[in-house]
Amino acid sequence: MPPKVNVVSLVSVGRHPQSGRSRRAEQDGRAVELGLKLSKKSLTVVHAGDSQEPVLRQYAGMGLDSLTVLPQAADGDALPVLVEFLKNSKAQVVLTGVRAESGESSGMLPYLLAEQLGWPLVPRVAEILTIKEGAAEVLLALPRGQRRSVIVSLPFIATVDNAAAEARQTAFGPGLRADLKVLNVESVTDDAMATWQISAAKPRPKRLKVVKAKTAADRMKAATAKPVGGGGKVMKNETAAEKAQAIFDLLLEEKVVR
Amino acid sequence: MILDWLPPTLIGVLLVLAGIGAIRRMNLWRAGQAEKVDFLAGLFAMPKRYLHDLHHVVERDKYMSRTHVATGGGFVLAMVLVVFVHLFGVKNEILAWALLAALVLMFCGALFVYKRRMNPPSRLSKGPWMRLPKSLLTFSITFFVLTLPAAGILPEGTGGWILTLVLSVLILMSLSEMLFGMTWGGPMKHAFAGALHLAFHRRPERFGGGRSTGLKPAALGEASHGVAKPTDFKWNQLLGFDACVQCGRCEAVCPAFAAGQPLNPKKLIQDMVVGFAGGTDKKYAGSAYPGVEVGNAKGAPDQIITNGLISSDTLWSCTTCRACVEECPMMIEHVDAIVDMRRFLTLEKGETPNKGAQVLENIIATDNPNGYSPASRTHWAADQNLNLMKDVKQADVLFWVSDGAFDMRSQRILRAFVKLMKAANIDVAILGDEELDSGDVARRLGDDAAFQSLAKRNLATLSKYSFKTIVTTDPHAFHCLKNEYGDFGSDALKGVEVLHHTTFLNRLVKEERLQLDTFKGGKVTYHDPCYLGRYNGEYEAPRELLASLGIDVAEMERSGYRSRCCGGGGGAPITDIPGERRIADMRMEDVVSTGAEMVAVGCQQCTAMLEGVVEPRPVVKDIAEILVSQLAEEVNS
Amino acid sequence: MSEFTPTESTLSDLLRRDPRAEWIARNRLHPLHSSVVSAGQGEVRGPSGLLRKNPHVIGFIGPNGIKRIDRANLSAAGLNGKKRAGEAKETQLPLHIVDNPDGYIMVVADMIGGRLTGHDKDILGLAHQLVGENKAAGKGSIAVVLVCFGESKETQFDLAGVDRLLHITGQEFEGFAPEARLSALMQVEAQYKPVNWLFPDSIHGGTDLACRLASRLGERPATQAWQVTASNTVSRGASGSRDISRETPRILMLMEECANAIEDTRHQVLDLAFDADAVETGDDYRLIDQGQIEVDSNAVPLAEAEFILSAGNGIHNWDQFHAVAAALRATEGASRVAVDDGFMPRSRQVGASGTWVTARVYLAVGISGAIQHMQGIGQCDKVVAINTDAGCDMVKRADLAVIEDSEAILDALLKLAQEHYLSKEQEKSDAA
Ligand SMILES: Cc1cc2nc3c(=O)[nH]c(=O)nc-3n(C[C@H](O)[C@H](O)[C@H](O)COP(=O)(O)OP(=O)(O)OC[C@H]3O[C@@H](n4cnc5c(N)ncnc54)[C@H](O)[C@@H]3O)c2cc1C
Ligand code: SF4
Ligand code: SF4
Repeated sequence: MPPKVNVVSLVSVGRHPQSGRSRRAEQDGRAVELGLKLSKKSLTVVHAGDSQEPVLRQYAGMGLDSLTVLPQAADGDALPVLVEFLKNSKAQVVLTGVRAESGESSGMLPYLLAEQLGWPLVPRVAEILTIKEGAAEVLLALPRGQRRSVIVSLPFIATVDNAAAEARQTAFGPGLRADLKVLNVESVTDDAMATWQISAAKPRPKRLKVVKAKTAADRMKAATAKPVGGGGKVMKNETAAEKAQAIFDLLLEEKVVR
Repeated sequence: MILDWLPPTLIGVLLVLAGIGAIRRMNLWRAGQAEKVDFLAGLFAMPKRYLHDLHHVVERDKYMSRTHVATGGGFVLAMVLVVFVHLFGVKNEILAWALLAALVLMFCGALFVYKRRMNPPSRLSKGPWMRLPKSLLTFSITFFVLTLPAAGILPEGTGGWILTLVLSVLILMSLSEMLFGMTWGGPMKHAFAGALHLAFHRRPERFGGGRSTGLKPAALGEASHGVAKPTDFKWNQLLGFDACVQCGRCEAVCPAFAAGQPLNPKKLIQDMVVGFAGGTDKKYAGSAYPGVEVGNAKGAPDQIITNGLISSDTLWSCTTCRACVEECPMMIEHVDAIVDMRRFLTLEKGETPNKGAQVLENIIATDNPNGYSPASRTHWAADQNLNLMKDVKQADVLFWVSDGAFDMRSQRILRAFVKLMKAANIDVAILGDEELDSGDVARRLGDDAAFQSLAKRNLATLSKYSFKTIVTTDPHAFHCLKNEYGDFGSDALKGVEVLHHTTFLNRLVKEERLQLDTFKGGKVTYHDPCYLGRYNGEYEAPRELLASLGIDVAEMERSGYRSRCCGGGGGAPITDIPGERRIADMRMEDVVSTGAEMVAVGCQQCTAMLEGVVEPRPVVKDIAEILVSQLAEEVNS
Repeated sequence: MSEFTPTESTLSDLLRRDPRAEWIARNRLHPLHSSVVSAGQGEVRGPSGLLRKNPHVIGFIGPNGIKRIDRANLSAAGLNGKKRAGEAKETQLPLHIVDNPDGYIMVVADMIGGRLTGHDKDILGLAHQLVGENKAAGKGSIAVVLVCFGESKETQFDLAGVDRLLHITGQEFEGFAPEARLSALMQVEAQYKPVNWLFPDSIHGGTDLACRLASRLGERPATQAWQVTASNTVSRGASGSRDISRETPRILMLMEECANAIEDTRHQVLDLAFDADAVETGDDYRLIDQGQIEVDSNAVPLAEAEFILSAGNGIHNWDQFHAVAAALRATEGASRVAVDDGFMPRSRQVGASGTWVTARVYLAVGISGAIQHMQGIGQCDKVVAINTDAGCDMVKRADLAVIEDSEAILDALLKLAQEHYLSKEQEKSDAA
């Protein structure tokens, strides 16, 4: 790793999936972790939002000496202040999560930043291998644990996938003592959002497997077939070969053997 | 006689050197943090603490207790008299005879020490400790001979200058050990540090039959948290470490040591001494941490302990079972020290191993270690018809459900207990979703911030309601509520009796509010949960309950205060430090060796740990489950 | 204009051929020759070594219900391959015709492996819903355009609801090429001004491309949309915990099952004019694809693995276990006992104190299913158990359980896997 890369990790307030409580967001935590790996103590971590947010201490507890806050009201739009901040910073690599856990969770922010800054964006990064001569070699996370190698020129924005290294534990003491640098920026309201109606998520109806039986035989089959999920099938008396075949058929059906 | 001056001079010089050593040693202790101690009361109480409390523990090993009384008592008496007779030259035959008697006593004791050292058990340290009986014998013989003239048995000047010279050499040898060694770090240090440790103990409540097992709260918001360097310990903790006699009783009972995890409580205490005194562990002559070579540890008072003195795995191997503390004749507090150091690792370094980080994160975000939805805490009780405190505001009994609420196996215990309470017509209510994790796991993992937050929020909830008794089936929550919540300045538990369900049920049975049939199954043994037994002294209620079913408990060799941990405490299953074997497997072997078909327990964690042992193995059941299956069907008139 | 024209096509009566099976049937030296031939023909070697025919599997049932012997040997099951499901006696589906559309809805498909995914098809279904609404509102007729990049192996665009096809090919769009693809979409935008852009909200590139397009166009898209009409869109927000209801934007990223796929109509699949060469494929792309990295199945992190073969205390032949895992290209997992006993590394432990896995198929061999183990597989889709104890908890949890000695089953699985992949390779080398 070259001596100095300017890395900025952007963090937001996460949401615990079970309790709904604020927490360090999964992917943002990984963005900080990756940032720490790339630039150690010189990492800049930025949050656009409420400077009083206790969750910021959880990020700071990862060993940050300080954390920069661009104060925004709850209905604020983080984009303009972040663009402004990044333009004036010497950032070469900006790391974010793929999708925020709170708010709209659209995942658009990094793309908009990239667009407005005119930087390339690498989506779903699992690892940044090297940074040299103005370019970085990056591994993208593909489904099934597969990876793709991509070279991207600096400066760039990367969204960090869940496959990236897990965020280190946050320590209470350092988090408490870290310095919060609250910058003086204007709060910009997100007007479009104000017109939306937001409610608790309704459960989505499970798609029923409607069997459009075209023949009597099909209808018969549909009526007698073992419902999926309702308890498993147990094979006892068949031969070993038959049993193995049944397993193998399932593997083929599930497309894990191709 | 030209050499008459020699023995007294030697004695005098060594006494002075011992004095200098004592001051130096005290300065080492004083490098620790301030802690309020009632010095006078402690000093006055010291002899009683020695004779009563310490000997109460030593007494468990009858051989050693008698030996120690003879040797130690003989030596202290002899030394005082030596000062009068030989240093100040007080000419008094009675004193001289008394001295002779003391020396004979000591000699006899020393012989037994010698005998024990001929073939010492592995738990005892060797090295300088092997020399000690010889020094003791030399001391008693030397001064015996030296005192004979003073007692008028031999004429003055017998033996001439040669004898005096020989005696002087022997005096030098033995007194170097006994006096100089006492304050300059030899084996006899234990007498000096031990006496002061007894006087200035951090938990004076433990003396006189008391019990003090709750951890002390960490101060939050300071420049650092927990113990990073030896000097971060309280001064009297350092003093306590110095009192260790390396008897290895702690080592012999430590489940982590037996399982081959890299922990040995004796070595840990010795390493603490290496730390605050500075140096290496090269001279340590006892058993190592399993799998870790002796001789590579270096420490200094201001050096971070986990940087070179001990590995953090050592700290995380401990199940906080307190077997070592219970067994230590010097009443040293291993668990306090271990958790103090864990606090630094968790709160400052963020290095709780394995699942630790995740569990703590869950506790913070969901108030339970497994990250379940807090709104699902009461799902288990959907069909139980239990009153919620929120609705009734008051009840005779508050049932503290604990996190077993989320676990299907533990729910069976909870339901069994509810059924028993219903059978006895108890006016009971639960907190429902208002209850939070007790904080036990967070605290043992060193996260006192999370613990204190939970404790305070739980106390705030409790203070809203009125009840006379809290009952819980979870000994860990029981311990927190009973012994640790008191430090947070809340009146919520004032005048409230906190009980474990076995105690509570035992009362009901005694009051004949539960009608139980005789148990007709096979042989049953009982496993004492650490947090019920050693932490809270409840050994009897579970046994009485079993007896009330007509069960004659087939006791394991290690039961009662010597019960072996199941491996489930102190967050050990979460940090999961590898060893050669599993603690639970060893405990199950204990069970199997009684021939029992069932092991009764009083803790959901023990149940989980013991049921985690590969089958075939005896059945594991909580006492509530056993009772419920014997509940006599009510005859309605 | 669009209308339905019921046609009596003979298309569906055609048997689809399986060239590979035919090839194997011709090649007597092929290792699978006998199985392919006998599968259909019931030809087996009898005990004496003579070739015997099983009369019950010969021939086929004719349309009038009478059994016919197939002398042309065309119907051997292995040879006539996969028929379209349930099409045997179906009447031809009506064709949905759009002529001179007034507008277009673009569906940019993931096309994993060159084929439409279920997700893609749902979105095509949704597109037609929107078309219907627009029509009802008198906004003219709209064609659903499938936009796809790279190689296509899809043969059923017509049944999936594709009115128009915009297939953009060219070296620069292959592999990971979001910048080139964005340029292409920008040109589509300029050329057709679509009514809507629909993307699958997926990790297969759909979301990425959609976000790029939206930010380039400066339009606010809806993400994680799941209930969409022409006027209103409900999408998930705050990591799935909120529903956001708003006016339907032009660019939508849609969740799976946002609508039902097309089932009852056929569509024209007319190529839409598009000049791929005219796309401004700037030379200044700043992302250079180095290609996919071969990650060995056993090097895949356990938590990410899709298919786990997991070993417990009931495994006695460890070499065999590893061989099966390799043959099946499965990621290895283990119970704590297998780890404690030193047969598997700690990093492979599944469960409460190990890794929580999310595999689609979890194949547990000789694992009893202790609660701590089960905690780790809570998120697995399908669990398969191999165990000698029919009463153990793993069997209770499993979707498919076989009660048998692990060694015997693993042995049979090993053979099946080897045969399977061998024939795959044959196929590949044949194709080459
Ligand atoms: C705190 C704690 C944490 C734990 N964490 C974990 C964890 O993370 N992961 C974990 O796995 N365990 C964990 N355990 C251990 C767990 O409780 C079980 O002990 C363990 O999972 C059992 O492993 P097993 O199923 O391989 O072995 P067993 O329970 O011995 O089961 C072996 C199975 O193999 C079958 N079998 C035997 N021979 C054959 C054969 N020839 N062919 C086919 N089947 C055969 C048997 O019928 C049986 O069902 C934990 C336990 C505790 C207490
Ligand atoms: S700590 Fe206590 S029990 Fe352990 S060796 Fe020292 S004196 Fe003995
Ligand atoms: S508390 Fe238990 S596990 Fe910890 S050191 Fe003492 S005996 Fe060992």
